[in-house]
Amino acid sequence: MQSMRRIFWIARITFLEAVRQRLFSFLLLLGAALAGSSVAFRFLNFGQGELKFVADFGFGIMFLFGSLLAVVMMAQLLFAELDNRTAMTLLAKPLGRSEFLLGKFLGVWAVMAVFVLLLCAVLGAVLLSRASELAALAEEAGRTAPVVDGGGLVVFAVLQWLRLGVVSAMTLLVSAGARTFLFSVVAGMLAVLGGQLQWLAQDLLAKDDAGVFQRSLAWFATRAVPNLQQFNIGDALVLDPASVPPGAPSAAILSGFLHLTAFVVIACALFRRREI
Amino acid sequence: MSQVRALWAVGTVLLAAAGASTDRSWAAVRPCIPELGPRQLELGAGQGVMLGVLGGLRTVMADVSWLRSYVLWERKDQAGSEALMRLACTLDPHARYFWEQTGFAVGLDMANWEIRRRGGYAKLPKEIQDHLFTTYARKAIAILDEGARVSRSRAPLLIVAGQLAEMKLKDLRLAAAYYRTAAECDDAPWYAARFSARTLWGAGDRREAYDWFKAHWLSTLRIRYQDKAPDDLAEIRMMEDALLLPLAVRVPRQPWER
Repeated sequence: MQSMRRIFWIARITFLEAVRQRLFSFLLLLGAALAGSSVAFRFLNFGQGELKFVADFGFGIMFLFGSLLAVVMMAQLLFAELDNRTAMTLLAKPLGRSEFLLGKFLGVWAVMAVFVLLLCAVLGAVLLSRASELAALAEEAGRTAPVVDGGGLVVFAVLQWLRLGVVSAMTLLVSAGARTFLFSVVAGMLAVLGGQLQWLAQDLLAKDDAGVFQRSLAWFATRAVPNLQQFNIGDALVLDPASVPPGAPSAAILSGFLHLTAFVVIACALFRRREI
Repeated sequence: MSQVRALWAVGTVLLAAAGASTDRSWAAVRPCIPELGPRQLELGAGQGVMLGVLGGLRTVMADVSWLRSYVLWERKDQAGSEALMRLACTLDPHARYFWEQTGFAVGLDMANWEIRRRGGYAKLPKEIQDHLFTTYARKAIAILDEGARVSRSRAPLLIVAGQLAEMKLKDLRLAAAYYRTAAECDDAPWYAARFSARTLWGAGDRREAYDWFKAHWLSTLRIRYQDKAPDDLAEIRMMEDALLLPLAVRVPRQPWER
């Protein structure tokens, strides 16, 4: 119980420190402005329905800025404590290294929740208002009105939050062993790229004619690198919920949560042996 | 030290469980995500495909790529515009518009560009011109075939493939086959079946054209497209008259028929 309280305090301080940062405000405002104005970019749309374009634009912005925020903030908040020696003061008190690290992670993850929640609210408002306008036009023309599923948006928000949690956990793992902030950020961003392309490695390595070595490599890659593309079903969830298999979001949530927990646990193991 | 080892052990077990779970969840999620394989990535490498795939902005990057392809199309830059059009198709494979317009551009415009580049219609021998039209039409049909496999709107793409086969390849049987496949799709427009029957009729397979059109009219057209059914039946009656068919094998007289 005492341990939980200490973790909570570290998380709270981390959260407050993070939301005061200019990077957070900047990316949040820029993301919200872009998501809010996505309807204005609809003249760029050729291939798909207007709502699909708006949704894809908003979800893309959320992932791009969210990943940047998750990587930079996680590394920055940890290295600030280490470089300023405040971590030494904190760890001299009855506070375990794992508790400290867990508190840092939960603080950043809470910031990600605020980020995702606000951007989803803006995007949801844009999608719903535009959908109602299009529904009125479709009714006049005798066509089928487009549908925006609010429940799908909530599920997507959870998936997106989890994805950014996995990104934060990967960066935490790198930062727990790294010596410099810059290395952590670069390695964190590379891990995000790896996660986005993990499925491609699977396709290339696990072909039918693949040898034992390739298959082993594919097996290892699936375990070590999370598949971040599996969270990329926002447009299907919101605009075409019938196309999403019933168990798909819960399976992605379980897989993401397991990866997140594994990275945090290994980061704790690494951090315990680190010289501060 | 033992605690650190315990943490490593727990972390490793969790990673193994996460990997197994990812295999299952990816299998469930993958059908919702537009297919993009290593071959398509290779086609579009270095042209924005990575940003689209990595940044999650696939639809947006597809649209930007399409806009850039217009610029090159206006300059009649064949390689550049085709590459960007294919990139748009790759990034947003569910969109019918990209496949359809790429098919038209490759099948109709690019052969003309090449003829002009080689000296013009007056200078280039007719056989070479025909060869170029055929080559580009085949290329366009291959693109449309690929689009029909992945797009959510198959019938319009098959109809364009049929038009190219009819106009550029002069292969009426192939055109009729495309129209027929289009007519049998769920999103088929009412005229696809008539196109198929007329084209096959024009190719000389008159009885086959009639038999299929009659069967399709009875099973589908008169139910699904009631307002167009009289026009199609008039076409069928014309075929019956031309084939001199006995009453017993003709389409039974309809209550609303004059």
